[in-house]
Amino acid sequence: MAEHTIKAFDQEMDKLRGLIAEMGGRAESAIEKAMLALQRHDKVMAADVVAEDKRIDAIEAEVEKLAIEIIALRAPMANDLRDVIAALKIVGVVERIGDYAKNIAKRVPLIAANQRTQEPIALLPSMGQVAGEMVQDALNAFAARDADLALAVVERDTVVDDFYNSVFRTLVTFMVENPKTISECAHLLFIAKNIERIGDHATNVAEMVYYAATGQTLPDRERGGQSQED
Amino acid sequence: MTGPAILLLLAGLGAIAWVSARARALRLQGAARASGRRDAMHSLPGYHGWYVALWTLVPAGIFLAVWANVAPGLVVQQVLSSPAAQSLPADDFSRSAILGEARAIATGQQAGAFNPLSQGLVDPYRDALGKFGMAGAALALVLAFAGGAYAFTRVRPDFRARTRVERLVMATLLIASLLAIITTLGIVVSLLWESFRFFSMVSPIDFLFGTKWSPQSAALGYGNDDAFGAVPLFWGTIFIGAVIAMAVAIPLGLMSAIYLTQYASPTLRKWMKPTLEMLAGVPTVVYGYFAALTIAPALRDFAVMIGIHGASSESALAAGLVMGVMIIPFVSSMADDSIAAVPQSMRDGSLAMGATTSETIRRVLIPAALPGVVGGVLLAVSRAIGETMIVVMAAGLAANLTLNPFASVTTVTTQIVQLLTGDQEFDSAKTLAAFALGLVLFVVTLLLNIVALRVVKKYREAYE
Amino acid sequence: MTAMIQEQAKPAAAVETKMTARDVKVFYGEKQAIKGVSIDVDMDNVTAFIGPSGCGKSTFLRTLNRMNDTVASARVEGTITLDGEDIYAPAMDVVQLRARVGMVFQKPNPFPKSIYENIAYGPRIHGLASGKADLDVIVEKSLRRAGLWDEVKDRLHDSGTALSGGQQQRLCIGRAIAVEPEVILMDEPCSALDPIATAKIEELIHELRGRYAIVIVTHNMQQAARVSQRTAFFHLGELVEYGVTSDIFTNPKQERTKDYITGRYG
Repeated sequence: MAEHTIKAFDQEMDKLRGLIAEMGGRAESAIEKAMLALQRHDKVMAADVVAEDKRIDAIEAEVEKLAIEIIALRAPMANDLRDVIAALKIVGVVERIGDYAKNIAKRVPLIAANQRTQEPIALLPSMGQVAGEMVQDALNAFAARDADLALAVVERDTVVDDFYNSVFRTLVTFMVENPKTISECAHLLFIAKNIERIGDHATNVAEMVYYAATGQTLPDRERGGQSQED
Repeated sequence: MTGPAILLLLAGLGAIAWVSARARALRLQGAARASGRRDAMHSLPGYHGWYVALWTLVPAGIFLAVWANVAPGLVVQQVLSSPAAQSLPADDFSRSAILGEARAIATGQQAGAFNPLSQGLVDPYRDALGKFGMAGAALALVLAFAGGAYAFTRVRPDFRARTRVERLVMATLLIASLLAIITTLGIVVSLLWESFRFFSMVSPIDFLFGTKWSPQSAALGYGNDDAFGAVPLFWGTIFIGAVIAMAVAIPLGLMSAIYLTQYASPTLRKWMKPTLEMLAGVPTVVYGYFAALTIAPALRDFAVMIGIHGASSESALAAGLVMGVMIIPFVSSMADDSIAAVPQSMRDGSLAMGATTSETIRRVLIPAALPGVVGGVLLAVSRAIGETMIVVMAAGLAANLTLNPFASVTTVTTQIVQLLTGDQEFDSAKTLAAFALGLVLFVVTLLLNIVALRVVKKYREAYE
Repeated sequence: MTAMIQEQAKPAAAVETKMTARDVKVFYGEKQAIKGVSIDVDMDNVTAFIGPSGCGKSTFLRTLNRMNDTVASARVEGTITLDGEDIYAPAMDVVQLRARVGMVFQKPNPFPKSIYENIAYGPRIHGLASGKADLDVIVEKSLRRAGLWDEVKDRLHDSGTALSGGQQQRLCIGRAIAVEPEVILMDEPCSALDPIATAKIEELIHELRGRYAIVIVTHNMQQAARVSQRTAFFHLGELVEYGVTSDIFTNPKQERTKDYITGRYG
């Protein structure tokens, strides 16, 4: 794409993208670490994830400030306007994703490190990985203005939803069989729900990216997982 | 040594000064460059040359100018103190006549003397002339050398010759512009002085408000009372210049300006405007005999035919009509400028309202351009009342106070010409009256010009 | 979001088309300034022409009331109609046309007359008022519509040129309104005004919308975005894109339009 006549405008837009990419990277790594901490019952790593969430919040504040400045001072139009608005909305969503990762990490110490919960936990890392990749891809799509990649993210949401349904059934069955584990399993259930929400949010980000890149909104789609609870 | 020779010598000295100073500066510059400092010379060598040349020429020149005025007095003094001068007659008139003759013979303008007394004075005169001429030339040369040498010693790398030359140029230009102003002032002062002398003989009230004008009778000794009432002259001037001429010039000038700015195609305009302005270049004397020989008789015949009494072969109408034609370019050119200066946007604004071109001209352009047009008309009037040739030839000399355009009237300028042509004595009221008339004319045209320029200026400001 | 954008523009069938241009070409001597523009201007929407300097937007605007006639070398091809009538037909009275299609210029150009006389100018030359009282009514109504009445009602006989720039421009709009035009063309009406005066003119344009078909040429894209419902982007004498303003400014279809409005032009 051609450069703006005003070079500073380009620099500011680049900075905006850079911040969002960084935020996405941090959110994804927070998810990954949270899942690892859960697997390994690593309370130190979990505390790490909680601490790092502050950085994500800080980036959100920075992006909001920059976006407002760009709107006030540069009066962006057309694709620039869509990019800035999308950025503004994306950071809010990614901040929520960070919060979910933090939430997951906070539950780690509450789940005793014993063999009883190994079985139900088994599914969660793969689910977390899919959701994390969705976040990463959505933000990559934003950086690259890649509408196709954004579409792929949206389509992948059903995978996470399917995971969630399967985890849900597994945990319910497990709780019925092992009533002593109900409190731990309830935490796991919430973690699964959090990952499912991360997937939904990644989908929202992808929709915004698609709008920013094309100027079109995505047609309404089936929101699989959400109908069950929430 | 003669004047031209000394001037030539001085010019030569100046040239030498220029060349040598420039050469010195060039050498200094070369030295400075060699030492690696590019900025070492403040001024270019040429400026140093000019500086020294000017120092050589200007003081010597000023001295020569002063000397040329002082020397003749000194010469005469010396001649008078010579033994041959003791026998000169006592009265100033014959004494200066003899001295003049002696000088003429001494400088070779006259071969022999009519008066034997002057023959005796030729030798002392020649001596004195030679002596003071040599003294002047020597002093001038000394001054030139002194000035040149002083300036030459100042040719140094850091000397600001450029600034000095600049200042000198400015001074020269200032003097040039002051000369014009001083001339004007001189004219005004002489007008005032002679008028004052006139008003000490004739009361200003009688002059400005009297209705009878017959300076010839005053000259013939019938007394100054009632002879210098200038009202008929003023009336004649106004009648011809401001009434009849304007009645011709304003409508025609305005209409031609409107046509040229609004309707004429650019090609036509390109031809018509200069042609019209050529009218202003016709010598007024040509207008004059056109008025006197063609228009005036025709008008008289016409007046007689329709039965108007008092029709004269020189008439206010003839002079006024021709003057009006002469003035057309002034009015049309000023009106043209004013109309063209009305912003195009205003014209567009009117046209976009659905106005036709003539409605736009009538209701928008003319009102908007009016101050400029009025200014132009005032300038034209001031020019018309100062106009001389046409009225001298076509308006007549009779100081009539009449409304009849076919009658002969006279104007201020005509009378001034009348009073001052031929041999005159400059101490009679008759001659001095010309200066008083000139003063009135001067004041009136000055006021008209001031008012017109202010109007035009104010109008220009409104659109810029 | 799609739904929201579409709401602002009325469906094509509902608007009343006032002027149409079909394949309009304008030549200045040998030079072609407009290269085949077709556009519809309707009653209910303000139409903005945007584009870089020299793109022909002002030239095209001036063909709509035949102001180009005043330029000797200008030649117009194609058809332009007002209510279905060809305005370049020999039978069309250009003076009448300009009474129906008013114009407001870039620089405020009040006549050097009183405020009252400025407004009364058009009604007088077109004989719209039957008497002094009638003329008073027209002047007051026009000044009220131009949003100027309260500011000048006590000094109607002061010179129009003594007003501030913004007031002068509203006076010029009032002057145009006074002859009850059907279309008002505005050629960069705010380019000589400060932001507050500009805002007042823009508000005025909003209020006049619907009563007159309004076409505005502007260099200021924000202004086009603020006052218009339709935007046409001109470039090098062509009409590149014409559409609903909110679409043009959020999602232009043409690359050239996008580059221009996002500040990537040239």
